[in-house]
Amino acid sequence: MTELTKVVMRLDGVADAHRLDVYEANGGYSALRKALGEMKPQEVIDEVKASGLRGKGGAGFPAGLKWSFVPQDHPGPKYLACNADEGEPGTFKDRWIIENNPHEMIEGCIICAYAVGLSHIYVYCRGEFYEGKRKIEQAAKEAYAKGYLGENILGSGFSTHLTVHTGAGSYECGEETALLTSMEGGRGHPKIKPPFPASEGAWRKPTVINNVETLATVPAVITQGAQWHAGMGTEKSKGVKMVCVSGHVERPGIYEVEFGVPASGIINDLAGGVWKGRQLKGYFPGGSSTPVLPAEKADVLYDYESIAEAGSMLGSGALIAFDNETDVVRMAEVITRFYAWESCGKCTPCREGTRWMLQIYERILNGGGRMDDLELLLSICNNLEFKSFCPFGDAAVGVVRSTINLYRDEYEEYIREHKVYRRRFVPVKH
Amino acid sequence: MDHNDAPMATETQDEDHDGLISILERIQAKYNYLPQEALREVSEETGRSLVDIYGVATFYRAFSLKPRGKHLVSVCLGTACHVRGGPMIAEEFERQLGVCAGETTPDKEFTLETVNCLGACALGPIVTVDGRYFTKVGTAAVKKILKQAKEGLGKVEIGTDERVFPMEVNCPRCNHSLMDTDHLVDGHPSIRVTVSFGKMHGWLCLSSLYGSYNVTSEYPIPENTVAYFFCPHCHGELLGASDCPECGEPMVRMIVRGGGVVQICSRRGCKGHTLDVDGVNL
Repeated sequence: MTELTKVVMRLDGVADAHRLDVYEANGGYSALRKALGEMKPQEVIDEVKASGLRGKGGAGFPAGLKWSFVPQDHPGPKYLACNADEGEPGTFKDRWIIENNPHEMIEGCIICAYAVGLSHIYVYCRGEFYEGKRKIEQAAKEAYAKGYLGENILGSGFSTHLTVHTGAGSYECGEETALLTSMEGGRGHPKIKPPFPASEGAWRKPTVINNVETLATVPAVITQGAQWHAGMGTEKSKGVKMVCVSGHVERPGIYEVEFGVPASGIINDLAGGVWKGRQLKGYFPGGSSTPVLPAEKADVLYDYESIAEAGSMLGSGALIAFDNETDVVRMAEVITRFYAWESCGKCTPCREGTRWMLQIYERILNGGGRMDDLELLLSICNNLEFKSFCPFGDAAVGVVRSTINLYRDEYEEYIREHKVYRRRFVPVKH
Repeated sequence: MDHNDAPMATETQDEDHDGLISILERIQAKYNYLPQEALREVSEETGRSLVDIYGVATFYRAFSLKPRGKHLVSVCLGTACHVRGGPMIAEEFERQLGVCAGETTPDKEFTLETVNCLGACALGPIVTVDGRYFTKVGTAAVKKILKQAKEGLGKVEIGTDERVFPMEVNCPRCNHSLMDTDHLVDGHPSIRVTVSFGKMHGWLCLSSLYGSYNVTSEYPIPENTVAYFFCPHCHGELLGASDCPECGEPMVRMIVRGGGVVQICSRRGCKGHTLDVDGVNL
């Protein structure tokens, strides 16, 4: 039986947890007091390093290591960008945090700022999160009033400020370098790395970028210790993960579990199994950008290494399940359409490749597919992957390549029988 | 102004230091789109070239260079919403409104667009209208959503709108308080009365916020039903002195603590009401 392990979601169900008094009554900001009062900045970094906390936005890069890359002796301001631009289809964990428990994230931000010596925190909040933005701003105001933010925090002599910046509807801006260009007021185009943001980020100043969930885990790591955190999960994937389960399941929702529980346990025990008594056909283990895994691989353990071994990625932890009546070709078309639309247009392979793939999908679904279209799609995938500045292209090919490999017969059925996907409705023209 | 210069650490949340996106967001919030003249002005004010600003304005999906309808309907077609029937919802909206996604109705009431993910995948299919979320939408709900939008979703914002304020009421017959502190509606103690309609007889909790029409009740009261309201303490009917100015049905009368009379229409769905505080008719 797969069990929940609530760390970030420990206040789940507590009424008004977004309010400072409720958060403080449940032990909030004690981690900040501990960090500022008892620990040196380097000790905080070491603690986070020892805890094995990994970035939970998708790449899984160790958070403590990222923090230690920032040059300590850099003159002038350094920044923290908290990535709340959660746009990956299927992911809705950051939204829960910022709407239900924004103080946890803010506390994590301040601790990070203290450890690395950052003078300003920017929360890059997704533009569509109207409610979330309001909640963060309200929480920041409360934190300012209580002296957790601003000058000389809690009498320690350390000062940092927080600004909420909203996006304007672009998936690409969730990528770290694109997020920074967007924050600077430009089109959300990525930059080539190196230089990495840790040495040259926003306004060419050293910048730490972390996901909301990563930062929201930091207070628990500080109060309960690195050993406690390192004791959860598997050897390499330590700690817990908020898994967003959606798609064809009975009880979609966010389930916080330790790394290393079986994916089938999350689907069956926590999310109530596949809906309407149907069978699982496959699932995206980490959001629409990760390759599909078939139902036979449902028992794979939910941690970075095991899923990578199974041929996919854990990504942002968005588990989308689909049942055996799903039209996989149409599903792949929908996702490809998403990527074709959202490609920022900077790098040619991605801008052109995603559109070509979409056109081929449209051809197949309109009954005009050719047998060599599948090879053509796979060849575009090869020419797209790792050919652009950011990992967007790699994300776009995941679903195409994996569905062709896993469900080739369905593609071939479409092509062989000139099957047409029946679009239900032709719009009325006036 | 050199926009490579970051806001310095000493400056707190300074409005002037907002990025270009925030400036455009505020223009869009005011005009519902980005008028050319406004963009020219932004260019002059910030010293950035117009093409730069045009680039940003066209890059982000939230910005529109064309005037948009009064209400913005966004249907989610993200992966999770797609597998749960998002496209059917989008199609139903297209059918009801008679426009394709991305277009505005000729009467400038609605702009329909599809979005890729609204970040609430567990509740799919999702539709937002003017920033308000509708979850687990079925095709049957589309008509209702559009009707609701036309009536004005964001008319009254509880908590921020000054027209909404809490009030405490008593029974006009026994002067017993009707306030129920155990049962909250809109986060405030509610007004608890007994209602009877048809063969149903049960409790009803009204929002105590003047301007809010939220209620919870023991039995769902069908739309347009005229119910009889009673005091739960003396069981006397809360009969009003006049008929509803909007629909002519009988009014329900309650005494406002501190002086005054409030009357609400007894027909479900009718928003007719009068408030008479110390002789001043509002």
